Amino acid sequence: MSLTSLWFYVLVAVLLAVYYITPGKARWVVLLIASWGFYLLAASQYAPYLAATTFSTWLAGRLMGREQVRLDAQLADDGERKVLQAASRKRKARISAGAILLNVAVLATVKYGGFAASNLNVLLDAIGRDWRVPVPELLIPLGISFYTFQSLSYVIDVYRGKIESQPNLARYALFVGFFPQMVQGPIGRYDALAPQLLAANRFDFERIKDGLGLMLWGFFKKLVIADRGALIVANILSNGDTYQGLYVPLAMVLTALQVYCDFSGGIDIVTGVAEMFGIQLATNFRRPYLAQSVPEYWRRWHITLGAWMRDYVYYPLALWPPLARAGRWLRRAGLKRLGVLLPAMTAELVVFAVIGIWHGAEWKWLVYGLYYAILIILGLVLGPYATKVGNALGLRDERWSTKALRITAVFALACMGRYITRADNLSHTWELLLRTKAAWNPWILTDGSLWTLAGSNNETLVLLAALGLLGVVSVLQERGFALRERIAAGGRAAQWSVIIVAIVVVVLFGVYGPDYPSVFVYELF
Amino acid sequence: MDKLLDILQDLRPEVDFESEQALIDDGLLDSFDIVTLVSDIRETFGVEVGIDDLVPANFNSVAAMQALIERLERA
Repeated sequence: MSLTSLWFYVLVAVLLAVYYITPGKARWVVLLIASWGFYLLAASQYAPYLAATTFSTWLAGRLMGREQVRLDAQLADDGERKVLQAASRKRKARISAGAILLNVAVLATVKYGGFAASNLNVLLDAIGRDWRVPVPELLIPLGISFYTFQSLSYVIDVYRGKIESQPNLARYALFVGFFPQMVQGPIGRYDALAPQLLAANRFDFERIKDGLGLMLWGFFKKLVIADRGALIVANILSNGDTYQGLYVPLAMVLTALQVYCDFSGGIDIVTGVAEMFGIQLATNFRRPYLAQSVPEYWRRWHITLGAWMRDYVYYPLALWPPLARAGRWLRRAGLKRLGVLLPAMTAELVVFAVIGIWHGAEWKWLVYGLYYAILIILGLVLGPYATKVGNALGLRDERWSTKALRITAVFALACMGRYITRADNLSHTWELLLRTKAAWNPWILTDGSLWTLAGSNNETLVLLAALGLLGVVSVLQERGFALRERIAAGGRAAQWSVIIVAIVVVVLFGVYGPDYPSVFVYELF
Repeated sequence: MDKLLDILQDLRPEVDFESEQALIDDGLLDSFDIVTLVSDIRETFGVEVGIDDLVPANFNSVAAMQALIERLERA
């Protein structure tokens, strides 16, 4: 059941009523039944995968919890503190490693098994061997990339002693499978999400209204901008003979905006749904196209995935003793800067390779991840020189012109990255680059050619107006203008006027209907 | 304190660590310096610096770092 289907919202409305008339202590049960109900309705064949991940990670948490109880009892007997702690830590490490390996193996098999096997066959062919590895044709369970990462963060947090394990399997199952965020995130953390899911949230009309407003903003981004932009991009890319030269980078600019509106629009919708139940999901976007550096872009784009990578991959790897020793050795050998950068650069490469293939089992995704890793490493190595050049040119950090220049440069790099992701594969990326080079036609910006791309002048006008509104709202938010609060301060009439206008805009100008099946890009990951 | 100052001065000799109170907030140490610094602290003091300890407040000054090390030594 899609987030853009009417039935989803009918069920959400019924669910809201049931949730708030149910006695407080049992409200989480309503959410659990609804979450599993939605999953079974949407993808019942994959329910065993979800159940296996839920059970295995819960069990690992419980076993570590018991281990902690045993350690506390031993410490109370005044034993050898450090020895006992070290032994207990080892036992917990074995338990968490078991759960992590099991779930990563399942994810790797269903998501990357076919890719690995077919590439192995290419290699066997190249070295002249006759035998072939069977290529598994497994479908990817709905939401597996999101719920697996969410569950693994729980296991690791219990291991690190950051949170206590959840004794109740059903309560834990709600954390793993909470329906709004199941399909495309955000990737929640147990300590922030579980207490809200299990609380007896009280009915609050203001929160319902806020949730509704956020959902409408998400629909605006998804149906008015993303789905309209996707049609234009498809038009340009599928007519290679007609649209060459500047049309191609313009399609990439539009792809960058489309993917942002698609993904962040979807997140706004699910955050709005959760808010109506009194649950605040983690922030996943903070106006990434206003970032002034590539690392900052990644701190603003898909924030929960970036934070997950930082806490569970980047730091453990950068602080891995053999890597730290190698860095120390380089520093002692006189290569000071390289010694400092080596652990961080290695971790950066691994993190972005993982972020790349997290999106899908294709070479293009790995290259996409490495594209950002290289940009960040280049920034690290060349950063001090770039600062000197900037100072010599009189660029001052606080000037708006410097900021605008940096924002434009980062956005241009993000659009370049779309040559990799929007293409079908890497040879298609190369083809798109050649198409860009094939014609010199900057006059299309002024001779009216762009107006026909969307089918009619009015369609183009709607898209430009919508992008203009998105831009204005983004800049206002960036400057700390509290838009929601300002609208609320205008009283009920103002709030309802905004909501009604938003509904009318989405209904009139959204791209939807039987001919336009609306799929969210990140649902496919 | 001396061992910690040695590590810091080896990492960034140009910084006056004894008087600076906002090493992270003012950008005098970046995240890559922190990775190296934490590795050296682990090696020298034998303490386990956790991921949750990697917050600016723990690294803004020598005193804050010293307090973190002492806390971890007691754990």
